[in-house]
Amino acid sequence: MAVCIAVIAKENYPLYIRSVPTEDELKFHYMVHTSLDVVDEKVSALGKALVDQRELYLGLLYPTEDHKVYGYVTNSKVKFVMVVDSSNTALRDNEIRSMFRKLHNSYTDVMCNPFYNPGDRIQSRAFDNMVTSMMIQVC
Amino acid sequence: MSRQANRGTESKKMSSELFTLTYGALVTQLCKDYENDEDVNKQLDKMGYNIGVRLIEDFLARSNVGRCHDFRETADVIAKVAFKMYLGITPSITNWSPAGDEFSLILENNPLVDFVELPDNHSSLIYSNLLCGVLRGALEMVQMAVEAKFVQDTLKGDGVTEIRMRFIRRIEDNLPAGEE
Repeated sequence: MAVCIAVIAKENYPLYIRSVPTEDELKFHYMVHTSLDVVDEKVSALGKALVDQRELYLGLLYPTEDHKVYGYVTNSKVKFVMVVDSSNTALRDNEIRSMFRKLHNSYTDVMCNPFYNPGDRIQSRAFDNMVTSMMIQVC
Repeated sequence: MSRQANRGTESKKMSSELFTLTYGALVTQLCKDYENDEDVNKQLDKMGYNIGVRLIEDFLARSNVGRCHDFRETADVIAKVAFKMYLGITPSITNWSPAGDEFSLILENNPLVDFVELPDNHSSLIYSNLLCGVLRGALEMVQMAVEAKFVQDTLKGDGVTEIRMRFIRRIEDNLPAGEE
């Protein structure tokens, strides 16, 4: 379903970014990069309300002609960005939410790996496989 | 004092995440302190041994198991009582050698490795080697010299974790005079 999945650190550098190999990788990098501003905007605008509801899902950040960009930010300000093909109209908000939830759980497991140093790029095979499964589902 | 009072057959609850992460921190720190994996394995075994020689006292006090008459009985106690008490798992015992002096403990899920993924540069690290040391140390204190080693490990891509135990000999010399 997803065509690109990225994990961005608190300081806005990428911890992990993967996109489907069939398309131009750089295009997605741009898209994710652009979305960070929207994430910041949303977080500061909704900041208080989000904290109160403990809601981590930010919803649709912005649509482009071919894609939709969704965001999710953890309590430690790590951002997850997911780019979805907009031709895929069957994908509902709830499913996106559950995909982020899955991503978050997997990310938590990576953080708990004693051999992972926080702040490094994520190279975990388990995380990689999970992301792959999320990208294949749709394509 | 209060610790002594708490000591009974009931097991104390503890967060498994805290335990797993503590062990992980220990192993990674050792990896930083030592140059190669062999040294880390050795160090883990040594630490386990030191734990084992103490833990056996606690185990005997809490479990009320009596003297084992043969190695098979020992294996049963280790798997069904000791592992259950300290790690909350019950490994299965298989692959007895014909002579009855070797067996395997199969751990379906090893609580020590819950979140762990071995990085490529630590391919010869035996992550849970502490357990071997514990088994060796504990059994040594009850007059049994054994050898314990990992032959399969889920971290290395095997389906299960397997600890191979081999009975070497009875240690007779420090049996107090007058017993038996």
